[in-house]
Amino acid sequence: MPPILPDFSNSVKLKYVKLGYQYLVNHIIYLTLIPVMLGILIEVLRLGPDEILKLWKSLHFDLVQILCSSFLIIFIATVYFMSKPRTVFLVDYACYKPPVTCRVPFSTFMEHSRLILSNNPKSVEFQMRILERSGLGEETCLPPAIHYIPPTPTMEAARGEAELVIFSAMDSLFKKTGLKPKDIDILIVNCSLFSPTPSLSAMVINKYKLRSNIKSFNLSGMGCSAGLISIDLARDLLQVHPNSNAVVVSTEIITPNYYQGNERAMLLPNCLFRMGGAAILISNRRSERRRAKYRLVHVVRTHKGADDKAYRCVFEEEDKDGKVGISLSKDLMAIAGEALKSNITTIGPLVLPASEQLLFLLTLIGRKIFNPKWKPYIPDFKQAFEHFCIHAGGRAVIDELQKNLQLSAEHCEASRMTLHRFGNTSSSSLWYEMNYIESKGRMKKGDRIWQIAFGSGFKCNSAVWKCNRSIKTPVDGPWADCIDRYPVHIPEVVKL
Amino acid sequence: MFLNYLPLLLHCSSPPAFYFICYIYIYNKLSYIVYVIYLLHHCLFLSGNIYIIYTYIMSNSNSRVTVLSKLTTVSSRPVGPDHTHSFTALDHAMGLHSLHIIFYFKDNILNDFDLDHSRVSLSETLSLYPQVTGRLTRDENGNWAVKCNDAGVRVVKALVGTTLDEWLSSADMLEEKDLTVWDDMPDDPSTWSPFRVQVSEFEGGGLAIGLSCTHMHADPTSATILLNSWTQVHRRQPITHPPFYSPPKLHLRPVTNLQTQSATFYETKSKQPMQCTVQMASATFRFSHATIKQLLLEIHEKCPDATPFDVLAALFWSRVARLKAGKNNDQRRSLTVCVDFRKLLRPPLPVGYYGNALHFSQLSLGSEEMEGCGLGHVAERLHHHMSRIEEEEEILSAMEWLESRKDEETGKLAAPFRMYGPELTCVNMEHMIVKSGPTGNEYTAMFDEDAGPVHVSYNVGNVEGEGLIMVMPGPEEGLGRTVTVTLPSKQLGELCEDEAVLGLHPKLLLSGRH
Repeated sequence: MPPILPDFSNSVKLKYVKLGYQYLVNHIIYLTLIPVMLGILIEVLRLGPDEILKLWKSLHFDLVQILCSSFLIIFIATVYFMSKPRTVFLVDYACYKPPVTCRVPFSTFMEHSRLILSNNPKSVEFQMRILERSGLGEETCLPPAIHYIPPTPTMEAARGEAELVIFSAMDSLFKKTGLKPKDIDILIVNCSLFSPTPSLSAMVINKYKLRSNIKSFNLSGMGCSAGLISIDLARDLLQVHPNSNAVVVSTEIITPNYYQGNERAMLLPNCLFRMGGAAILISNRRSERRRAKYRLVHVVRTHKGADDKAYRCVFEEEDKDGKVGISLSKDLMAIAGEALKSNITTIGPLVLPASEQLLFLLTLIGRKIFNPKWKPYIPDFKQAFEHFCIHAGGRAVIDELQKNLQLSAEHCEASRMTLHRFGNTSSSSLWYEMNYIESKGRMKKGDRIWQIAFGSGFKCNSAVWKCNRSIKTPVDGPWADCIDRYPVHIPEVVKL
Repeated sequence: MFLNYLPLLLHCSSPPAFYFICYIYIYNKLSYIVYVIYLLHHCLFLSGNIYIIYTYIMSNSNSRVTVLSKLTTVSSRPVGPDHTHSFTALDHAMGLHSLHIIFYFKDNILNDFDLDHSRVSLSETLSLYPQVTGRLTRDENGNWAVKCNDAGVRVVKALVGTTLDEWLSSADMLEEKDLTVWDDMPDDPSTWSPFRVQVSEFEGGGLAIGLSCTHMHADPTSATILLNSWTQVHRRQPITHPPFYSPPKLHLRPVTNLQTQSATFYETKSKQPMQCTVQMASATFRFSHATIKQLLLEIHEKCPDATPFDVLAALFWSRVARLKAGKNNDQRRSLTVCVDFRKLLRPPLPVGYYGNALHFSQLSLGSEEMEGCGLGHVAERLHHHMSRIEEEEEILSAMEWLESRKDEETGKLAAPFRMYGPELTCVNMEHMIVKSGPTGNEYTAMFDEDAGPVHVSYNVGNVEGEGLIMVMPGPEEGLGRTVTVTLPSKQLGELCEDEAVLGLHPKLLLSGRH
């Protein structure tokens, strides 16, 4: 029996050493300031009030001097406040909850697969294996056109789905925030695979009769990370336009992209992508400061498109029968890992506390100068963030990130449960995850949230939010009726 | 000489004429060979035409129903894992038949079925019936069971190229089949939906909702209750007959009794050979309240407490027996009566019991008795028979006999035999009137307060034989009844002209004639 006790005491010692080190480095300024203040206090007490008055009278203050110094102070203060970037707040957001008639249980999905791909039992088997290991649940939803045998992915059906998802999410947002359609100054809609003419943003403007001087943008083709790209765009626009409201709509329209061929690499998205959407209200108005839920701190975007392999790893093309589908390459996970490393390298210095940065710097110097064989230090992001929202792209993505960032199961719970309940809803999945954390009552004032999304191209985008006010349960949202059932245990392989 | 015939050749449009002309020309030369070639081609051409005409008829290309789309509707709540529903022996015994119910509505109450409230209410209703959304599979004994895997029911949308009234007066049994998804169970039913709903819209308004299922799953009462529950959920009312799943109290009897008449009857039935199929046709007769009341008064002295079922079954039995009488004049006439025994057991099964609860029994009368003693006597005998079979003993013994037909080692039940027929069978559906409030009648399967169904058709698959008579309540309250008769086509034609029947001034529906 190997001796456990010494190891245990060793690790406890290490833990305390680490804690002590972190406190020391993170609060170094306070720790140096306190002795200085104490010193001054003692000196003042020693001098006594008379001495201080004499000291005060000995200073000769000229009117000019006073005016100049106050002018300087005011000037510096003005320059500081004017050049500070405007704070961007997330007032509230609403996620779309599909109707129960759109629900697709595993057996229905497999049955439809068997009936439609009756000439290709191997493809059906492949889909079954994917579904068993996907981490999806029995309540994910597909749009109505896909429920037909055979599916009817017409343009009209795609528009119908877009109207259903986007308008429901926006109505819900208007109700939650009390926003009037006429008050929207910026509208950004992102939907990667469906891009009709006129655009989806024009569809929204038409439905809600928005103002004619609205600044509208429609981002298409940017993959699952387009949600954070839209948030970044909204933030940049809000720096230029003072006192404005921006509405960001993130969705993915499944109807026109349901692959109806036999190529295996292209059948994968059929099994994972599901219906969903979210509408978010971002504002830089001072009046929203009180009721806003989150404040946007950082957005970091990394693009690996310069690398050919990364560029081709999620590629939309025709298969040998001429049917269009999105093929996912086998080294998707490796490329995702690379993109993540790149993103972390950029975001690390912005968010990590000084202790972690110092350690990382020392390890880096040590590796370069002393010994390249030292293990690279992976900074502990759990100290920088309380909550993690990892894009629910699939079970493999969440597992990979959990391993890379050394996160615990509780940190990844929001992502896994969103994947189980809603499937991979592409750009809006981050908002479902955020809503999960809020519905569980875990969101407190001052909590920092890290949203990570991957997208075709290959992109890795992150957004850092800080919670502005504690959010009380029960939260009105897509999780309202089922949050009590979660978290559920998701088995490795579901027996179909 | 050929040139003389050339204009004629160019003008003639049909190949036979062409060949005929060639034949005349070449008559002198190769007449014999050409004549043979001509004949051959002509015959082929004709037979080709006949083939085309045959397929034209058989493919119903002039069918008035066009199917638009097919999709799958699932329940609103997921079924838990590993849920299996096994069938009782009675369910298995009904395995050869299928059930098809069509509700006809005057107004189109389901607009835009895709995302409509009615599809949501269907999903809600299906979450109470996990067996309906499951798939058939064999259990470890080799018997049929339902694997409740939440796969959903097929829903088909169709358009009918005629108005509802026109349809009701002119459609026949074959055309009514188009209003339901009448599929036979395939060899591998793992991807086959046992329940299929078809929603057909008529021109100028009007709707037909057709529900098809295997008779193993449900009997007419269960299927009607399912549709009723759908409408009640749609109107946000509490469901009057929630589903009830335990099998009848058969399993509580320690000592089985297989010596009763019912058991013997079932034994004889099981040994009957399968008859060759004969072309059947059906017609529906609607009798008003006043007519039935009059009829009951007429037979009051012979049979004081006759029910409308008794008198109508007696009437049709005697008329149909007369039509068959031509061949064997002195044979005994027998009628198989089918009743629903939910209310006949002690304690009674709830109406919402899901599954088969039908009991078949036979009544025989001598031909002189039938012809000579008049309608009242036959009705009285029928009434007496009905009250006798309502004894629990008969019903339970029949069930026990069905249970006993299993293979001792594997527990697999014996193959099903034809339950409806092949002898003349009469089904009593009067129990569909449940006097427990305004929403009890099957005709109150409404989606809107005032738009009750105009007509309900019940069709059973695989009843070829002597025929099937079904007595159902009429659309209004009271004694009015609707009788659907399925007979071999020739006999049905004669029945529709029978004076005794026509004397009661029935309204004729769905008989395929104007």
